[in-house]
Amino acid sequence: MAEEESQLEEFEQIDFLRDRHVRFFQRTLQVLPERYASLETTRLTVMFFAVSGLDVLDALDVIDRNNMIEWIYSLQVLPTEDQSNLSRCGFRGSSHIGIPYSVKGPGVLHPYDSGHVAMTYTGLTSLLILGDDLSRVNKQACLAGLKALQLEDGSFCAVPEGSENDIRFIYCAACICYMLDDWSGMDIQKAIEYIRGSMSYDNGFGQGAGLESHGGWTFCAIASLCLMGRLEEALSQRELDRIRRWCIMRQQSGFHGRPNKPVDTCYSFWVGATLELLDVFQYTNYEKNRNYILSTQDRLVGGFAKWPDSHPDPLHAYLGLCGLSLIGEPNLRKVHPALNITQRAFQHLQQLQQTWRDNAGTCT
Amino acid sequence: QHGRVKIKSTAQQEEEKRKEREKKLKIYVAARDACFSKRREGVWDDEALQLTQQLLSSNPDFATLWNYRREILLHLETVREEDELQKIYEAELSFLESCLKMNPKSYGSWHHRGWVSARLPRPDWARELSLCDRCLSLDDRNFHCWDYRRMVVKMSGVPVDQELQFTDRLIGSNFSNYSSWHYRSTLLPLLHPESPEPPSPCQQLLKEYELVQNAFFTDPNDQSAWFYYRWLLGRAEREEMISCVYVSREEERVVVAFSRPVNVSAFTLIHIWNFVHFLTWTQICDLPPGTISDITNEHNLTVHWTEKHTHRDCALYTGRNESWCRDSATDQELFSELSVEKTSVLQSELQSCNQLQELEPLNKWCLLTIILLMRALDPLGYEKETLAHFQTLKEVDSMRSAYYSDLCSKFMIENTILKMEYAEVRVFSISDKKLTTLCHLDQLLLVTHINLSSNLLQRLPPQFAMLQCLEVLEADNNCIENLEGLYHLPKLEEVYLKNNKISKLADLQPLVSCPKLKHLDLRGNPITETTNIQSELAELLPSVTDLLKSLIH
Repeated sequence: MAEEESQLEEFEQIDFLRDRHVRFFQRTLQVLPERYASLETTRLTVMFFAVSGLDVLDALDVIDRNNMIEWIYSLQVLPTEDQSNLSRCGFRGSSHIGIPYSVKGPGVLHPYDSGHVAMTYTGLTSLLILGDDLSRVNKQACLAGLKALQLEDGSFCAVPEGSENDIRFIYCAACICYMLDDWSGMDIQKAIEYIRGSMSYDNGFGQGAGLESHGGWTFCAIASLCLMGRLEEALSQRELDRIRRWCIMRQQSGFHGRPNKPVDTCYSFWVGATLELLDVFQYTNYEKNRNYILSTQDRLVGGFAKWPDSHPDPLHAYLGLCGLSLIGEPNLRKVHPALNITQRAFQHLQQLQQTWRDNAGTCT
Repeated sequence: QHGRVKIKSTAQQEEEKRKEREKKLKIYVAARDACFSKRREGVWDDEALQLTQQLLSSNPDFATLWNYRREILLHLETVREEDELQKIYEAELSFLESCLKMNPKSYGSWHHRGWVSARLPRPDWARELSLCDRCLSLDDRNFHCWDYRRMVVKMSGVPVDQELQFTDRLIGSNFSNYSSWHYRSTLLPLLHPESPEPPSPCQQLLKEYELVQNAFFTDPNDQSAWFYYRWLLGRAEREEMISCVYVSREEERVVVAFSRPVNVSAFTLIHIWNFVHFLTWTQICDLPPGTISDITNEHNLTVHWTEKHTHRDCALYTGRNESWCRDSATDQELFSELSVEKTSVLQSELQSCNQLQELEPLNKWCLLTIILLMRALDPLGYEKETLAHFQTLKEVDSMRSAYYSDLCSKFMIENTILKMEYAEVRVFSISDKKLTTLCHLDQLLLVTHINLSSNLLQRLPPQFAMLQCLEVLEADNNCIENLEGLYHLPKLEEVYLKNNKISKLADLQPLVSCPKLKHLDLRGNPITETTNIQSELAELLPSVTDLLKSLIH
């Protein structure tokens, strides 16, 4: 499928339907249709999309924050009395295993209950967005659980029982360490080696060594290195330039994730944020990007889909908004390109971290 | 009345829906709990297989259940005969096929299939390969499938050249098979494990050039072939080294420039650069007073970079105030991105691309590649053609014209550095070249005069402070609003910034740290409109004597 240069220069000015999107996310937080059943094990990530989406829309007042905060804490896998399950701690995706509801410890031992690295990541970010101070998060347990997931080659599994391992979970791990302000949860050097090893001949990043370059994995690679503060140490100037070039070539109108694939709304964030972190997002064409994202807007139910005339879903709805925010769409909060939360939530995190450091300083 | 259909009330509908959901939930929870209690009790029987199958059919990403299934199968391995096991595992593969039919992108399913294939008593790798072929024919970009195929190839010992032939077939039938090119790029190094990536010049490489040329001649709009070509032509990373050492007797200091940003704590830091990651291209070290001040003496300096086991010598001769030791960018072929190929090979590649360009004058990939080849062969000789091609590029791919302007600026700066070296002068002049950005400032450590006037620059970035020998800066007629990089420049005496966008006093703050600054031309900047600007400037920069004159005019 050869790439087609778009013939249509002018798209109609499409308006942004804020209220529909607010309602879309509200509904997402209430009930989802049956076809989403397979997402049950990852329900917390769906909540993150909705909650962060509402934050970007500056509409967090429409939800019951305290209720949600409690629910998230009920998903925390806490240490048992004898702390024998520390390497399994973190946050779980939902109640699907059947652990009884509880927001405080000690944890209940269940052979198949454990944290999941992506749930720990979205759990922590969701708490931050909802204004929580993370005081009920057992940080040491989370970090112990995280450490247990890293493999010899530097990549991470998602759960201690074992699962596929790749660069996505390195990104989750980096976010967790960054948020908790504690990098003891991972071996940074090994992670950097794995990331470098995932760079393909065309200077995009694959999911792992020898795998095809992809916009999503490239985001995971670059964002992780930025969060670790090692971007220019891990990659040479030439490599960075080539990564910029690979990413910039992903824009067709909106962005696609790999060459010769159709554009997809979510890449307006994955690739857009990567370009922003590499300081060249300003060279992209904002108008075409915006027009594509808005062409996937569902005018009836709200939200965004990957393609025009397709069903919207929470992931694309959220990332579509983030893509628009990067361009500077009015009335949308700015998004932190590495951590993928609003700047407002990020500032809240910074204040929290300052308090932690101050407290640590004053402790005898 | 009007034959209105009886519509159940919303509340009733809600209630029915709720009941249905509850029913489904009950069934699901029952199945799940049954699974877990069986697992807990260590029961590994057919019913367990049935239950997990039921649940996984609707949700193949419930990882715990795949784990349980693996436990059951492992248990069965201990109690059943090999023939029976073969049948069981084959049934497993069938089940997996149906899972994959429903969702060809489920991590759990592919992962499990990999596990099963590895444990099958009599694996049928040909069958697995054909499964991959079928899957890829439906979606040739399904990376799960490619990944699985790689595993199968490894486990079954399919030789590399057979796989290369496989990619030949795929590419032959559809050049746009990006995944195939990618796979090929991973296979080639396996054929020549001793040579560094990308493979060094040899028969194989020339054949690759031919193959990829066929591809982009057939379909010049397909980027896969162009990226692959770029990789083939590419070059290994330079070694890290000290690229320049500069000694000044007057300032009693040593400035060291590196080939890449480094995190060096061995030197005494005089400034902390404004980089996010605290890396810097150059380090400045003040020598203890009097160490090299005796001009009748010769001083020999050696700079050791212990981490990289490299060093650099520099001799400060009698009667001389300064000295340096620098790698020439020309000799180093610093700016060439391509491997040190035989010129004849590059020439012939350029010829092919030029031919294509005549047939397809609007093709951006072709233009980019020609520019790349020209810069490798003779950057100064091809300067005019390169600029013309950039112009075409910006018209043909206008969506990325800002990016191309940036790229073009970079190349013009590289050429100016090469010209400066050739002329053996320390003057860097690049005016009226539509420059949008500055780069390679680490190469300008020795420059005394720099002329950037009549361009499109908006700022002088922090890296500008690396120009430690700078005496005169001409930057008239730009759009400069930010002078971040003009600080701690010990020799800077004259600054010309006519017709720029300096708007407030704070913008000039960095200049306070330049002790020798005498002349500052700010005519034609918004700042001159400010009331009391003359007195404020006099207060901020008292040693600048030529200031008032320029404002009065």
